[in-house]
Amino acid sequence: MIEARDVSVAISGKRIVGGVDFDARPGEIAAIVGPNGSGKTTFLKALSGDLAYTGHVALNGRDLSSMKPVEIAVQRAVLPQATTLSFPFTVREVVKLGLVGGRSGALPGEDARLPERALARVDLDGFAGRFYQELSGGEQQRVQLARILCQVPAPVLDGKPRYLFLDEPVSSLDIKHQLIIMNIARDFARRGGGVVAILHDLNLTAMYADRIFVMHRGRLAATGSPQDVLSDDLIEKVFDCRLRVGVLPAGNMPFVLPQSSGS
Amino acid sequence: MVDQSIASPVKVLASASEGDRSGRARIVILFLCLGLAAAVLLSLTSGASDASAVNVIRDWLLGAVPRDAALSARDSLIVYDIRLPRVILGMLVGAALAVSGAVMQGLFRNPLADPGLIGVSAGSSLGAVAVIVLGTTVLAPVTALFGTLALPLAAFVGGLATTLVLYQVATRRGQTSVATMLLAGIALAALAIALTGILIFMADDRQLRDLTFWQLGSLGGATWQKIGSVGPIIIVALAAMPFLSRGLNALALGEATAGHLGIPVQRLKYTAIIGVSAAVGASVAVSGGIGFVGIVVPHLLRLLIGPDNRYLLPASALLGASLLLLADAVARTIVAPAELPIGIVTAISGAPFFLWILLRKRGVIDL
Repeated sequence: MIEARDVSVAISGKRIVGGVDFDARPGEIAAIVGPNGSGKTTFLKALSGDLAYTGHVALNGRDLSSMKPVEIAVQRAVLPQATTLSFPFTVREVVKLGLVGGRSGALPGEDARLPERALARVDLDGFAGRFYQELSGGEQQRVQLARILCQVPAPVLDGKPRYLFLDEPVSSLDIKHQLIIMNIARDFARRGGGVVAILHDLNLTAMYADRIFVMHRGRLAATGSPQDVLSDDLIEKVFDCRLRVGVLPAGNMPFVLPQSSGS
Repeated sequence: MVDQSIASPVKVLASASEGDRSGRARIVILFLCLGLAAAVLLSLTSGASDASAVNVIRDWLLGAVPRDAALSARDSLIVYDIRLPRVILGMLVGAALAVSGAVMQGLFRNPLADPGLIGVSAGSSLGAVAVIVLGTTVLAPVTALFGTLALPLAAFVGGLATTLVLYQVATRRGQTSVATMLLAGIALAALAIALTGILIFMADDRQLRDLTFWQLGSLGGATWQKIGSVGPIIIVALAAMPFLSRGLNALALGEATAGHLGIPVQRLKYTAIIGVSAAVGASVAVSGGIGFVGIVVPHLLRLLIGPDNRYLLPASALLGASLLLLADAVARTIVAPAELPIGIVTAISGAPFFLWILLRKRGVIDL
């Protein structure tokens, strides 16, 4: 369980996030949505321990600010929006960096096979020998996901749930890989881990999120299940955009929803 | 480039380790060890005098009675007291400069960071010159307190101060701006050189001649005593750096991500800065400004074995030591019986190489 209470973040004296209460429970995908500049990424960075915050954050019952980086790394992995590399590492070398700090929790001797498996899960079979810098943005994003799957391959370790923090994990992916990645997240949660994901696509959010946290101007505008949260009024208030939930396009205008994938 | 040919019969075998360059790195390191041994032999046997190191080594190995005792004693003096300390010092300095370059590049996340280019060596020089010129006057208590360690210590403090200022200026929220780093390096180097100039202005004639030669870089003054004072510093710094290699690898993903992977980033950065300052400071104290080793060596090795610091750091130490011995052999023989400062040799070969890196990376490195 991740519990954040009254978390505020100020950067250069300007308050970006104010008084956010947030829970990420094992077994659930907690989605954070909101317009650009609403403080989603800043809040996730505070939760990751990158930014100084006021308030209280506990990871599996322990105060985050009292934990060492390596202790935190065993219990949660973070996927940033984009990662550029300064040196020509191969894909395999990047994925193996997931094993660098903490403890994967894999059985002895299994660590060596983790990069291969993680690459297969993100549909990058055969990419191990390629240079990371030569891949497309979407492929790089999936390599990074494979890296964090090496860091926390099992959703539960020593009886404690582990967490994935995903900052816009699917924003640069095609629809097939959006579904693959979100299914990996759902699977991680179903097997006892927790997922915190910043998402922009409200349809994907409705399909995958167990709980939605809507951020608006640095504060929490709403919390709850997709059914409770996604309403015409909330979308208009937060996104400043008059949209209606569950309304089909008129006439023969085609539309494609991820929900039609049959899962 | 990694071979991607589809029809390769070893494809199936290769796939299990595809993209894993650790095997190749180990082989390269083995060859570098052999290369260093060859460079040591070459350095011991070549020089302005015709002293035969082969004879000396043979006498030493076989315990044979020399045919000509007088000649043998002279040869043995040249090999043991002139060439051998010079070879050892060359290896220490070459390894220190190359490893420092590799560590700095990892720390700044940029292949262009080099202690010589970004002012660290200039800061070390300032500290060293201060001790040389002011050692008998203003800084007399310091030299009295630290003895022969005063010089390397002053060079260390100068290098450390420069690196710390540089890092603070160039890094903002975990991102190091290359343009800021290089420009701040230029500014700091200019400042250090100006202050050094003031000291040189105050120097007497004898100090002046020492300083000029020393600033160009030379292993000429190698003695067992100098090895005794800087050798331990360099060896401790070099021995500490392999412990940074995994952290430096993670740092290639950015400071925040390295932290997410469990790396204590602040501690890593400060250990790296202190280690680099100690190694560079000690090197500058004994051999002056020998440039470009720290940028050429790691760059060549990254092309060969990739950027994994677990292999890059030891390989850099070996290749740096070998290349500096070769450069010193050239410096000693090309205008024999006179001697060229080794800094000129490394700069003449290193500067065009640096330009070549820039040409290759044009458009890739975002300044």
